[in-house]
Amino acid sequence: MEKADTQIIRLLLVDDEEDFRTTLANRLKRRNLDVTDAGSGEEAIEIIGKKSFDVAIIDIKMPGIDGIETLKRVKKIDPHIEVILLTGHASIEAGIEGIKSGAYDYVIKPCTVNDLMVKVEDAFRRGMIEKGHAQGKE
Amino acid sequence: MFKKLFKRDKSQKKSPSENSLPDLFRFKYSCFKMLLDSNSEFLNVITDLEEKLCGEQVFGMSYVRTRSAKAVFHALRMIKNLDDISGHRYSRLFEVLENIDLKIKEILNRKKEVSISELILPYSEINAEMIDWVGGKNANLGEIESRIGLPIPEGFAITTKAFESFLFSTDLFDKVSKKKMEIDPDDPDTVKKISDDIRELIISADVPPAIEEAIMLAYAKLADKTAYGKSPGTFMRVSMRSSAIGEDSELSFAGQYLSKLNVPQEQLITTYKEILASLYTPSAIAYRLNKGIRDEDIAMSVACIQMVESVASGVMYSRNPLNILEDNIIITAVWGLGPYAVDGVITPDVYTVGKDGRTLSSEISRKTVQLISKPEGGLTEIPVADDLVEKPSLSAENIAVLAGYARKLEEHYGCPQDIEWALDRNGTLFILQSRPLRAEDAGKRYPASPVLPGYPLLIEKGVTVSGGIGFGPAFHVSSEDDLLKFPDGAVLVARHSSPKIAMVMKKTRAIITDKGNIAGHMATLAREFAIPTIVSTDVATSVIPAGMEVTVDAYSGRVYQGKVHELEVFQKTGGFPMKETPVYRILREISDWIVPLYLLDPASPDFAPSSCRTLHDISRLVHEFSYTEMFKLSDFISDKKGMAFKLKVNIPLDLYVIDLGSGVTEKNINLNSISPDNITSVPLKALLNGLMNRDFQQNQCRPVEFKGFLSVMREQMLSPPSAAERFGDRSYAIISDKYLNFSSRVGYHYSVIDSYCSRTVNMNYISFSFKGGAADDIRKNRRVRAIARILQSLDFTTEVSGDRINARYQKHELHLMEEKLDFVGRLLQFTRQMDMLMINEASIEILAKNFLEGNYNLEKIIACN
Repeated sequence: MEKADTQIIRLLLVDDEEDFRTTLANRLKRRNLDVTDAGSGEEAIEIIGKKSFDVAIIDIKMPGIDGIETLKRVKKIDPHIEVILLTGHASIEAGIEGIKSGAYDYVIKPCTVNDLMVKVEDAFRRGMIEKGHAQGKE
Repeated sequence: MFKKLFKRDKSQKKSPSENSLPDLFRFKYSCFKMLLDSNSEFLNVITDLEEKLCGEQVFGMSYVRTRSAKAVFHALRMIKNLDDISGHRYSRLFEVLENIDLKIKEILNRKKEVSISELILPYSEINAEMIDWVGGKNANLGEIESRIGLPIPEGFAITTKAFESFLFSTDLFDKVSKKKMEIDPDDPDTVKKISDDIRELIISADVPPAIEEAIMLAYAKLADKTAYGKSPGTFMRVSMRSSAIGEDSELSFAGQYLSKLNVPQEQLITTYKEILASLYTPSAIAYRLNKGIRDEDIAMSVACIQMVESVASGVMYSRNPLNILEDNIIITAVWGLGPYAVDGVITPDVYTVGKDGRTLSSEISRKTVQLISKPEGGLTEIPVADDLVEKPSLSAENIAVLAGYARKLEEHYGCPQDIEWALDRNGTLFILQSRPLRAEDAGKRYPASPVLPGYPLLIEKGVTVSGGIGFGPAFHVSSEDDLLKFPDGAVLVARHSSPKIAMVMKKTRAIITDKGNIAGHMATLAREFAIPTIVSTDVATSVIPAGMEVTVDAYSGRVYQGKVHELEVFQKTGGFPMKETPVYRILREISDWIVPLYLLDPASPDFAPSSCRTLHDISRLVHEFSYTEMFKLSDFISDKKGMAFKLKVNIPLDLYVIDLGSGVTEKNINLNSISPDNITSVPLKALLNGLMNRDFQQNQCRPVEFKGFLSVMREQMLSPPSAAERFGDRSYAIISDKYLNFSSRVGYHYSVIDSYCSRTVNMNYISFSFKGGAADDIRKNRRVRAIARILQSLDFTTEVSGDRINARYQKHELHLMEEKLDFVGRLLQFTRQMDMLMINEASIEILAKNFLEGNYNLEKIIACN
């Protein structure tokens, strides 16, 4: 399928493991995303205060404030950011909690960069549509 | 594509909301697909729960917890996506789910799971119910010691608690998961590389001090208990064996994980890590990826058992596997360690012992070599001392003790056992393992048992696919209708083997076919379900009349008339050990909130969020509403000028095409309509080929002779459609070059085809859903069954419930995908008139048969029948 839009998607990638984060960030940049990365929930929240994003990918298991808590705080700062939770070995309860807290979806690893990319685009579209809704109501 | 369209259609004013319409479709379709994906995951959980509720399979609390969480998760995901599709008109459902979730949590919390804190458990504290914490192998050994009271070697289990705290405290779970993301399922080399990396990660990680200390302390206690600690210069060795838990792992993956004999103290921790790492061998990873088993669902416990410096060891069967009719205990024995008794390196001594303990025969062999532990660790072969080579390896007293063990084990487990034992220097006999005797394994090595006199022998020699004994009335199966009518407890007799027989595997006591293959799909299933099965009998359907009671001896490939009492002992007992346990009762209670379906009729006023009593109700409701929402969307699209092309095609089909990208060539496009030549979408092209199949077109104006009822039917067909039918005879195809989502509604029929066709075989799929119809319920059901019959013959997997069918075909080569879509197109045309013809059960067979033979002329079909 074609890309969602000609607009470049602004993505925030939050993961504490540096190797993984930079590799994934590079792969996503190659697909024409505007990627910013953060090594912790705290850092992510700081960045979001300064810059706007369309989509965030947040790893559930991180030291400091964990992925679910990061999700909740991010949503508080900017309700229009669509959040994809990424997790390897977290309980499915975390997925339930995540969706209840407003995550777009919950991706269980392993998944390919392709799959993730499709999710990012879908999440982006949802963001656009939800923003439209919100504006319509205003 | 859309932008170009807008430019061309200058008369239309662009508004921002219209600009975002393509995104809106795509978004809603992605929601719809997520919803369908969660729907099928949810139904899988239901099926799985229903199986467990039969009480035949063993499971623990972790199963109950993960399964109920999974059901809640997918129900939630379905609601969320429906809510998104509908612009948040179903938020009420979140509350409904929340309430059910609370009820489930209440039940789970009522019996607070005693999540153990012990990193180590001695066998005296372990029994079979502790499988979640110590794995199958350990649980079984513990049961033998603590409940049956037979001697096993001293030892302990390193629990799954230790496994979890090792992996969590070192962050290995996360590191491993991230590594696993690098796996490209299409490239086996990446699996190998990632496997190496992951195992290296585990082996190089530091075991947390608490776990290391606990293992070393348990080891020291063990050494203290045994003679080794007391005499200087001797060191206790242990064998360390994997005892994994997780879906299927015990059953299908036995022996794949690492076990090590003769491990010295200084290698305990390294070996422990090596065994944990064996969860990530390439074959283990590939197996789990294939089966869809997540890492969350697996855990590894390790058995740490004092190495018995055995003087002799061997295998014992509580019933003769060479001849299952003979109720005698068979003991095999060699000098030294056990592997040589199992591997067949040397011929063991064989003792036959009556159940009363009398030795009936002893065959003493020449045992020239034996296996012993090396002082530095590992095993080695040495010659047997000259004077022992031809001496019996067991004394009369030993034999009597072992026979006593065999009797106790068989009695406790309620079925014949296959037992590993060892004799130490002090003359103590230990049990190392006990598991149900699988006579079919033995059958491969030994000649079949003799023919039993006194019973008419119907079949003398068939090919055994899956061993066992089954008794029941014969039931002939020649069509899928027969399968639907298949009675519980019958013996299935068929001309050919067929994977479709899987539908009734749970009901059948045995399977006999005229033709068939031991390597086929049905054979695999028969073995998986442990159904006694004989194929290639040539004569089964002709010599076994329907209804005759037969006993199938699949060990020997024979079928007898009547009930053969001598063979009864090997029949599946039908005991349901799980049903007595507290874990089962909790599953039962929780299932009441998940499994039952009360919302059956979408037309009823009760078909509403407030009436949902179970998660199944929710999923049914969401599924139903999602289609309504998607059709609304399609109507919305077709109302927008320039948003959808009308496809000009010479068939009675009002089809609108919405291109998401590269699905249409732009040559010669008129303003709002295109011809089939403009379609470049691979799946839509294939489907159109079928829809436009010339055989249908020829049918349409051919004069037909009518028989009595046909004229009535014709009248029905020609009568003006009801208001509801007039309303929406439109079909929509949302496409890209490789993708198709085709939804059509004819009267009350809904059908949706979703397909992806590319050169990447693994990504290819066709999913076909069909629902509804103006006919009465019985006809509707007959129709979906006829469709199911046809799709099954086309190698689709199908699921029929009420008037709905879901079918799926996936991961096949591009040309096969195209071929199947062509058939699906023809099938759609065929079904347009089908329900009128569903006058009786036979019509299912007739219509399916004709379709598969390429006779699409429905009127003619009826005239001939």
